Amino acid sequence: MKAVKAVDAESSRSALAERTGMAAFTRVAPARAIRWAVLVVVLVVIVLAVPVLLSTYWVQILTSVAIYSIVTLSLAVLMGRVGLVSLGQIALLAVGGWVALRLGFAFGPALPFPLLVLITGAITSVIGTLIGLPALRLSGLYLALITLMAAAAITQVLAATNFPNGGEGFLGHSSANVGNAVLARPDVMASDAGFYRVVVVVTAVMFLIAILHVNGKAGRAWAAIRQSEAAAIAAGVNVTLYKLWAFALASFMTGIAGCLLAASAGGLTTYGFPTQDSITLLAVVLMGGIYSFWGPIVSAVLLKLIPEFLKNWGLPADVLTILFGLGVLQAMTTAPAGLAVQVPKDLANLGRALTGLARKRLVRVPAPEEHAR
Amino acid sequence: MPDLRPYLVLGLALGGVFALSGVGLVVLFRATGVLNLAYGAVGALGALIAWSLINNLGFPDWAGYVVALAFGGIATLAYGVVFGPPLAQRDPLVKAVASLGLTLILLGIMSWGWSYQAHALILPTTNWGFDLGGVRVNGTQLLGLGLGIFVTGFTAAFLRFTKVGVAMRSLANHREITAMLGVPVRRVEAAAWLGSGLLSGATGLLLSTLVGLDIVGLTFLVIASLSAALVGRLNSLTVTLVAGLAIGVVQSSLTAFLAVSSYRTVTPFVFAIVALLWFGFSQRGVRST
Repeated sequence: MKAVKAVDAESSRSALAERTGMAAFTRVAPARAIRWAVLVVVLVVIVLAVPVLLSTYWVQILTSVAIYSIVTLSLAVLMGRVGLVSLGQIALLAVGGWVALRLGFAFGPALPFPLLVLITGAITSVIGTLIGLPALRLSGLYLALITLMAAAAITQVLAATNFPNGGEGFLGHSSANVGNAVLARPDVMASDAGFYRVVVVVTAVMFLIAILHVNGKAGRAWAAIRQSEAAAIAAGVNVTLYKLWAFALASFMTGIAGCLLAASAGGLTTYGFPTQDSITLLAVVLMGGIYSFWGPIVSAVLLKLIPEFLKNWGLPADVLTILFGLGVLQAMTTAPAGLAVQVPKDLANLGRALTGLARKRLVRVPAPEEHAR
Repeated sequence: MPDLRPYLVLGLALGGVFALSGVGLVVLFRATGVLNLAYGAVGALGALIAWSLINNLGFPDWAGYVVALAFGGIATLAYGVVFGPPLAQRDPLVKAVASLGLTLILLGIMSWGWSYQAHALILPTTNWGFDLGGVRVNGTQLLGLGLGIFVTGFTAAFLRFTKVGVAMRSLANHREITAMLGVPVRRVEAAAWLGSGLLSGATGLLLSTLVGLDIVGLTFLVIASLSAALVGRLNSLTVTLVAGLAIGVVQSSLTAFLAVSSYRTVTPFVFAIVALLWFGFSQRGVRST
């Protein structure tokens, strides 16, 4: 009885979010073409104009926002679409970075960068799936716990092995080589502006892959699994396969983000991936929203851009951690759809309330009832 | 083969504390369905408050320890009373994720308030000790192991023989029916939150002496206790105790082997993975969620 009730509540909640969240994205068919055109124009402006207008410092920060939006996207797809919670995405990001550096130092320029990105994604995908595998047969809580433990374990192992920096042996780390481990970039993106452009394009491709998945067969299977696993099995959905597929996809994306991060300015340090960050990531993804594709972008801005603003204003970043914690509690109790959906909805409600109020004052006619919508 | 006896003592003490907090997690999970991932953070903040009271404000030691325990109990109880009921009907996963929100809040408070000072909290029991087969055993280590065993036994007896304990067990089976039978559900749940919170305060104090008063370290030591609780299927207190001790001993003994000593903190994860693989493929239903 309890379980049935919980499932009911969950499915009605997600159905609601489905309506509100997706409505924003694909409301009417004719509007879709215009929407895509606008998106493409915005993307072109972001790619071409931003590096010209901003200083190198902010270009680097926007680069990391773009890279982290791939990570938040992967977690948003896992949580919002499939209902799987992973608490180890940041650790997987570090794994992606490690693999990329290892391959980069092993093969050097002989391995073209696009190929390196893809191979890193594939290897990380295998590792991520292996981590999730034992828990996928159990309930979602166990997957969350096992990924949290994996995150802690990976952080510890990384602290011991460090990132490859051209040293000998399998681990490829030599304490004789000073400085951070950075992946060499090909000439096309040697400058920060060039690298930024490549990263934005890769990010756009990742979002496209996610959108195609969600709108395709996989997305339908995931929706069925999320709403009721038993019903999905009854309907002939291969639950284990599609869960694994989602996990593999998310790890693939995270791996690619790790590869880009390894090539970005400053490179990688072992203290750059604490376990705490995996929880912070979950918080921002929940706050940004997991049902809309705008959510991951909002999340990445919360994660990487807002702290920079705070730093510039001289405010402690810890305030943000506390706010993120409050955000998780709020998202869990009242607003499961996140900021990307909640804020427009709240604004719309506010607007309706204001116009209703104004109409009442002027015309002295009761405001239209709910069905007028 | 290096001499493992000193590590065995350390490991049993550490394992006792893992078991202690594992039991705290299991009791709360059984009664309320909440896996409180903020368990370690609450204990850590309690220990930091005790440290400040003793070192900065000149409180007597015992008062600091009492405040740390009380903080654990009250903070956990407050969270449970505020966020327990609205989430009661949700999936255990949602409840666990919500407790991560509390973890972040506490982490933020701790790194805001205590980050720029060096801390060390040494329980007075550490100064007392005896020799056992050529190995020095101090009071805190004995306390860790003893408290772990005692709390496991006490909790098992409490759940078995007292009225509140029976109510907690029936809550674990079925919340609605328990409420229908006239059990004051929220009051029983509050008791579980309080008890679990007091244990988290004790865990924080013991660990800050045994391992060190480090914000992030203490917060995420919950992971080791979690593996112990997972091996016990979030249900069995005895298995949790044994698993906690085993994790502590193995992790501590690995310190002696140079090749793997820097990877020893992976031990709890390995235990949990093996346990989950076993559960997953033995098909003996894990506590349904």
